[in-house]
Amino acid sequence: MSNTNDAIPPGWSYNPATWGERLPIVALALLGLAIATYLGLFQLKIIPTVWEPFFGNDSRKILTSGVSQILPVPDALLGALGYAADATAGIIGGTRRWRTMPWIVILFGVMVGPLGMISVLLVVVQPVLYDAWCTLCLASAVISVVMIGPAMDEMLASLQYLKRVKDANGSLWKAFWGYKEVQGNVI
Amino acid sequence: MWAQIINALLGIWLMASPAVFGFADDKTISNNAHIVGPVVASFAIIACWEATRVIRYYNLLPGAWLLLAPWVLGYDSTIAIVNNMVIGVAVIGLSLVKGKISGSYGGGWSAIWKKDSLHATEARRKLGS
Repeated sequence: MSNTNDAIPPGWSYNPATWGERLPIVALALLGLAIATYLGLFQLKIIPTVWEPFFGNDSRKILTSGVSQILPVPDALLGALGYAADATAGIIGGTRRWRTMPWIVILFGVMVGPLGMISVLLVVVQPVLYDAWCTLCLASAVISVVMIGPAMDEMLASLQYLKRVKDANGSLWKAFWGYKEVQGNVI
Repeated sequence: MWAQIINALLGIWLMASPAVFGFADDKTISNNAHIVGPVVASFAIIACWEATRVIRYYNLLPGAWLLLAPWVLGYDSTIAIVNNMVIGVAVIGLSLVKGKISGSYGGGWSAIWKKDSLHATEARRKLGS
């Protein structure tokens, strides 16, 4: 039992939950949060103009379009909320959280994925429906897609841990929420 | 990884190509490029990381569609047909390139449902020692 406290998952060459692995993702999420908040403030008419270096009036056209106002809240503010949730889920927990808190790791992975997919969908909608591009919207989409890959390795380590708990006939429910009694029996 | 970076650039090029070649007014050609381009670029970007390298296979479908699209949608521009076909062939070819995997990942994604994969045997070995 000497290696039970090892932070590197068994069969892995590194620990995907170190700060060096997680902080860059959190930094990307905060950058996305800043961009989305800025665009959202423009959509709420709190900021009168929006920065657009390449596509002229296109950003304004997209940010005031029907699709962007389809929900009661402007879409960029929902994006900002998504980024804030990603950053929070990225920061919670220690460097062994893939086994001590699988719930937050899996929540993190599950939130990063859809945010990226919705961003890509919005990138497609811009030229197809409105014949326009929005530089900051594209930047936000790139950020959210870049976040997916590095967030997934940690989720893989958590899912493999849960598989080992299941094979040892342990309680998946307790392992998911990080009960200490499960952690003692399975590494 | 380089293969996936090239695929990402090809996807971005596909997005930009209607404007570059002046097809922007042909809605069939430009819509297809504006839809398929971001999809290819996104899968390729995700596949840059070793742990999610298998996502590269997701680009086989949009790659194959690029070979069919000019005929299914009836493109009337030779440049657009050539552009789609060349990108399609390149995307398919490059998504088959696994590239270097220097880390180990406990047996990868299939290890979540398969028995006796790397992480399970390694955990048993550690517990035994």
